[in-house]
Amino acid sequence: MRSLLDFIVRHSYVFLFILLETLSLVLLFGFNDRQRLAFMTSANSVSGTLFEWRSGVNSYFNLRRDNAALLEENVRLHNMLYELTDSQKVETARALSSQGVIAARVIDNSVRRDDNYITIDKGSRDGIAQGMGVFSPDGVVGVVMAAARRYSLVMPVLNGNTSISSKIKGTDNFGFLEWTGGDPYKAHLRDVPYHSDVKEGDTIVTTGFSSVFPENIPVGTVASVERSSNGYTLKIRVNLAVDMSNLGWVYVNSRTIDPEVEELYEHINR
Amino acid sequence: MEGVSFMRRLGTLVVLSLLQVLFLNRIALFGYVTPLLYIWMIVRFDSSMSRVSVLLWSFFLGLTIDIFSGTPGLNAASSLLLAMFQPGLLKLFVQFDRHETVVPSSLTMGGRQFAGYALLLVSLHHTAYFILRSIPLCDWSVLVLKIIFSALLTFIFMLVMESVSASSGFKH
Repeated sequence: MRSLLDFIVRHSYVFLFILLETLSLVLLFGFNDRQRLAFMTSANSVSGTLFEWRSGVNSYFNLRRDNAALLEENVRLHNMLYELTDSQKVETARALSSQGVIAARVIDNSVRRDDNYITIDKGSRDGIAQGMGVFSPDGVVGVVMAAARRYSLVMPVLNGNTSISSKIKGTDNFGFLEWTGGDPYKAHLRDVPYHSDVKEGDTIVTTGFSSVFPENIPVGTVASVERSSNGYTLKIRVNLAVDMSNLGWVYVNSRTIDPEVEELYEHINR
Repeated sequence: MEGVSFMRRLGTLVVLSLLQVLFLNRIALFGYVTPLLYIWMIVRFDSSMSRVSVLLWSFFLGLTIDIFSGTPGLNAASSLLLAMFQPGLLKLFVQFDRHETVVPSSLTMGGRQFAGYALLLVSLHHTAYFILRSIPLCDWSVLVLKIIFSALLTFIFMLVMESVSASSGFKH
């Protein structure tokens, strides 16, 4: 008995190792619930504050670039405005402007992991909720995964779990944009019907089916087209429109789903 | 020389964690090569520390990195594995008796010995880290590349840290 106790005391570090290692692995593989993940990641207020501080310092270095981007966007918007007034599409413009868009700053971002996340500095108190689409002036960024009070966690295109309904611009052929790891500038468009007319260089935009994103937000351009292994669909490699490693400000599409559409979905799901 | 004080260790933990989460985590050469310099703290644990305190310090270091990197348990698990092997590997690379305290560095161990010791620890940690991180994916060739190049990058950063601290006589 005594020698057993001796053994335990002498090797207590082994037991401690097993205990802590088990705890770590439980944390690593047991954390799938979205809210708990959001708490552990940089959307919690401790790391949120830290990253906001860093982003505040960093943003000064990007002022020149951000200014140029804003100027460019302004010019584009002005041009669009002229076109709209010219062609009597003021009604459409009014419809667009009534949809809420919230601007937010990216305070934490990664592109190197297999599952990347972005943290933005707006949360539920600013009207952000789970499932809202996030885009930058260049195009689609991702979808809000969880909203804490002051910060939100965004699941970007560069995440294995993201799937964004997208189509080839000018056609009705659509598929799902997915990322399988590796190159942060490329993704795949899956499930596009085989008969679709797609060429290299074609633009890919959002469909607007789910109202997560407005219609026709750029996603990227076609890099290459190949037939997928089942033979019925195309597998399209897409050059992403947005440089995910270089995000400053983003817009969150806070337009809520039309209650009538929602009702319809519920009816189908029942 | 006696062991390093608690406050000094805590300071090292805070500084290395901040360096890692604020700057180094952002480095992504070729998309996936990232230095994990924070394990420098574990590499430098001296021979007077009990195995229990080596494990506890490593666990809290890993957990701190995890909380700020959004990777619950990942760094904690791989740091613990490293902490389990660090005291044994130190004994393997340098001869010392019970009453001596050896702080692993190029000055106390010799440059080549220290490089071998550090490279072995870094490889061990990075292998565990990248395997744990990519368990749902099974792209072995990418995984091996990630391990090799990230380990090399961390190792280079460590040598820089080592030469800085050796030349300033910081740890004497």
